[in-house]
This record gives sequence, C-alpha cells and structure tokens, in this order.
Amino acid sequence: MSDFPHGVALGVLPAPAGTLPAPHCAAAPITAQFQVAPEHYLMRLRDARVAGGAPGQFVMLKPTRATDLHPILPRPMAVYRYLPASDEFEIVYRVIGTGTQVMSERTAGEIAELVGPVGQPFRLASSLDGLLVIGRGIGVCSITAAAEVAAARGARVYAVVSARRPDALVGLDLFAALGAQVFPVTDTEGTSAPEHVAELVAPLLRLGRVQQVLVCGSNRLIDLAVRLAAPHGIDVQVSLEAHMACGIGYCHGCSHGAVGESEEAPLVCREGPVFRASCQSSAVSGQRSAAAIADS
Amino acid sequence: MTDPRLAVDLGAGLKLQNPVMPASGCFGVEMASLIDLDTLGALVPKTIFYGARAGNPSPRLAETPAGMLNSVGIPSRGIDDFLRRILPAYRRFRPPTIVSIGGLSIHEYWDLAARLNGVPGVAGLELNVSCPNLEAGGLEIGASPENVARVVHGVVQRFEGPVIAKLTPNVTRINDIALAAEEAGASAISAINTFVAMAIDVHARQPLTGTPTAGISGPAIKPMALRMVWETARTVRVPVIGMGGISNAQDALEFILAGASAVAIGTANFTRPTAMPDTIAGLSRFLDDEGVGNVRELIGALRYEAFGPTAAVDAPGAYGPPDPDTTPAPRRGRRPS
Repeated sequence: MSDFPHGVALGVLPAPAGTLPAPHCAAAPITAQFQVAPEHYLMRLRDARVAGGAPGQFVMLKPTRATDLHPILPRPMAVYRYLPASDEFEIVYRVIGTGTQVMSERTAGEIAELVGPVGQPFRLASSLDGLLVIGRGIGVCSITAAAEVAAARGARVYAVVSARRPDALVGLDLFAALGAQVFPVTDTEGTSAPEHVAELVAPLLRLGRVQQVLVCGSNRLIDLAVRLAAPHGIDVQVSLEAHMACGIGYCHGCSHGAVGESEEAPLVCREGPVFRASCQSSAVSGQRSAAAIADS
Repeated sequence: MTDPRLAVDLGAGLKLQNPVMPASGCFGVEMASLIDLDTLGALVPKTIFYGARAGNPSPRLAETPAGMLNSVGIPSRGIDDFLRRILPAYRRFRPPTIVSIGGLSIHEYWDLAARLNGVPGVAGLELNVSCPNLEAGGLEIGASPENVARVVHGVVQRFEGPVIAKLTPNVTRINDIALAAEEAGASAISAINTFVAMAIDVHARQPLTGTPTAGISGPAIKPMALRMVWETARTVRVPVIGMGGISNAQDALEFILAGASAVAIGTANFTRPTAMPDTIAGLSRFLDDEGVGNVRELIGALRYEAFGPTAAVDAPGAYGPPDPDTTPAPRRGRRPS
C-alpha cells in the first residue's frame, strides 16, 4: 500500500458538474473471471449503478463468499473498464494476500457483494487534444477508464505503464486498442527509473502535446509528473491508495492523519481518491488547507 | 415500521423500536444511501470531542483473522461543527440519536454534556470512556472505577436524559467499572469497546498500524465480548447494550440471552452494510420460529448451571459491595487453626 506523496500539494477537486450516482449495496453477479498475468486477474461484474459510474471511481468489494468470516473488510477496487451497454464493469487486481487470493478463486455465476460506485472521479478537460496517463503496477487500473473516455472524445492517449517485470505490465492490450502510444517500462529492464520516464514524457509536455496528466501507483512518478507539468501549467490529477473499511466516509480509516495541529487530512475514499497535484510552492489557490499534505 | 415485538426500553425514557443500533465509529448518515436508517433501533454518530483533533497517523487500519485493528484515534471537528453540521443530518431520521462523547480529561466530558443538554435531536449520551487509541485519558479514565464514576457523576449533573457509559474490556474486572458507573448515575451501560491489540509486518519490522498498538474488533472478539457483557449484565440493574463482534441475528441473540437489552453492530457494517437490517429481520424470524412473544422475554434468559468457583460469583452482590448475608462461605477455605 503506497504512502502519500510528499513534497506535492494535493488539492481536493471541485464538485463535478453532473451528479454522480449515489453508492448502493449490491449483490453483483460475477460474469467473468480470468487470469491475465502470472499474478493478475480480471473480474467482470454486473451492476447497472456501478456501470454508470465515472472514470476514477471505485467499488468496495467483499472478497469472500457471504458467510466467510475472514478476511472481513471489503477491498477498494478501481473500475478498470466500464461496459455500460451490458451494465457490466471490470476490475483487475493482483493477488497479494488472503483477500485477493479468495477473490481469484471465485468463478463466473457467483455473487460478489459490493458498495459502489464511490469516490471522486477524474475531471477530464473539455477540450483535450492529448492525455498522458502514468501508472505503475496495479495502479494502472485507476487510469484506464479515463483513458478510454478521453480516446472516445478524440484525444490522443500517451500511456506510461510501469511494473517490476514485463509480465506484470497491466493494461497494454487496452491501451493498444485505444490507439495509444504506450511506453512500457520495468525494473528488470532498468527502464522504470523516474529519470528515464522523464526522458520519455518531457517532450510531450514541452511541445504541448498533452493538456492533462493522470497518475496512479507511484509516489515517485507523481512527483515526477508534477515537476515536469508545473512549468507548462499542465493539470496533474492523481489517484491515491489507502487502507479503507467503509469506503463512503464514516470510518476515517483512509485519512493520512494530521494536517497541522488539529485538522484531519482529507479522506481518500470521499474527498478522493482523485486529487489535483501541484508543486507545494505553487499550490493551487482556493484549495482547502486540509489538502496540503505537509512534507514531514 | 419494524416488528412491534422487538421494542425494548433502555431506561430513562430511551425506548427503541428494536434492539439493534450501530456501534459508534462504525456508522455515519452516509449509510443512508445503502440502508434504510429509519428501521434501526437508534443512531450513534462517531465520538466527538470538545475541540478539533486530527486523529492518528496512517495506516489506521489492519486486518487479523476474523478481526480488524484500528488506530483511527477519533478525529473530530469539535462540538460547534457537530451542532452545526452533523447533528442536523441525524435529525432527518426517526430513530433516537445517541451522541457519543469523548475526552482527554474528565472535565471535557462535563463540558460536552453541558453543551448538549436540551439540544433538540439529542436523545441521550454515550460516554466513550474506553477508546484505546488516545494520547491521554483513555485507559487512565476508563480502567479506573473512581474516574469513570467522576465522569458519569459530572455528566448526569449537567445533562438531563439518558446517560450510557461505554466500558473498555481492557480491565481485570469489568464489573467494578460497570457498578461504579451505575452508582454514579448512568442509566445504561454499553459493553464493550475494542481490546488493545497489535500486529506486526515482519519484513518491515514495524507495527501494521501507525500507532504501535490499536483496538481490535470484529468476529474474533465476540466470545470475549459476550463473556464481559454477561458479567456486566448480572452485576448492574440498569440495561446493558452489548457489542463486540456482532454480525448477525445469531450473534445478537447470544448477547441478548446473556443479558443485553440491546445490541450494537460495528465492524460488520464494513463487511456488509446490510448487517443491521438483516439482524433485525433475523430477530423477528427467531421469535416466529421459537414461539417467543417478544424479544424482551429473551433478555438475560440464559439457562445455565453454576459450578465450581462461579457458584460464589453467582451469589447476588458478589461483584458489588460485600453482603455478609448472601455471600457464601468459600468452598476451599483454609481450616481455621
């Protein structure tokens, strides 16, 4: 689980123009489940409300069958892809513990209990010629749906997909189908260091090819994106990860802690998971003070 | 409208349409989009403090087998924000709202009680003298019968209405604390809050939570919570609200049979937000299936035979002040020489 980025000012995004569907409790049929990489699975579920959600939103998915007592908490899962025509949506996850192991053993036809859609979506600019998405590991799953929407609106998508190993790269097929220019980078190939990623994407920003950058899955890449985008005034939005129990704002488990003496940092589930990121020195005016995560 | 057979009375005028309510900290009006809050026995917001506090560093949550550790540390925007923003959101719903209050000092509880006295929409107070995740107060207050009595005594002098003391299980004898709260004027007892616990990441060699210790809740603690509710309920005369790992009607019935007049559901709300309505429906089914007239007949209806050392415990007043008329002689006392 990633810690919060430091040295970056996080701003709570203004309320979206349209109204988002209210979250609900659903017993969602699992319509497909298959392995997409050695440690990665794709699960497709049917729920009209969630399928009507927006890119960047997520669901709280109970990994176990109804009566299982362990593990007891639902898992926050980004919606990887929306399939509104069939009231379906997809999540992609990596098996990292008991919860995701149990999830991976479930099969089409079973019911998954979930709460969703929850969280603030990405705010895509209305006139968008180019969108840069940067994802690392399973964090790629938070930005794929936004890339799809941007591509459908005619934007050119540029995607940095980072992972430890080539077989852990997520979403290459999806980005290829969007006609995106994809930059796969991995630790084992020595291509994933921020300096190398900077070489790949700096020209896109410098030449004005993209008007927005979306990042998820790596604090170092968030930091990089903010530093590269700031001189050009390019909007950077990030999706953060956190431990969660409720997903809708009442348990306060997902806050990073304190901002100053007595103010709680924003809730990742409700105020986020999507935040605007900027250099701490040039924090966006009008953002809530709670959003400035102190570099400690 | 819920099943009239489920109505219970928590004393001091606090009547619930059914015995199922949320546990403080595991509920918010945000749940209104998930379940019908008007079907619940009562509503209980997250504990508030007098002033604003940020809460603890992350990670605030971790999981253990059938359980959850939390070290949220009660972030609160304080009483003014509660009255202006949070309480009005609760007034939209029919069940009584029991306001949970905390404090780092005994006076903080008293000040909150004074501010909440007479405020429309406040049906009662629950005194959280049992959070294990505070930098001060916490167990210093909650594990001391004298300090709990002082908190309760000062609150009942300032607040007209039901006052419920929520007790910690992190004590040797919860009965002592419960009795102290009752004698100081509490109209009911909530038992229990979380157990102090710990989990470690062996690779990082660090605690799994942002504070080294945290409170454990969930099904893992249910048998221990049940034992403490049973002991509490037969020690005090005021009603007891039982909680600790309750996930369904079966669990709720165990606590009711052990003596709880009502139950609170906490961690199970995260697992399945329908846990409270499902539990209420399950209680009605149980009454049907067992031919029981109403749920009040089940409160403390546990059948058991005392044996061994517990025979002495079962004597009236065994956990209260000594009563020479009813306290039996020790079975294995030393023969007087």
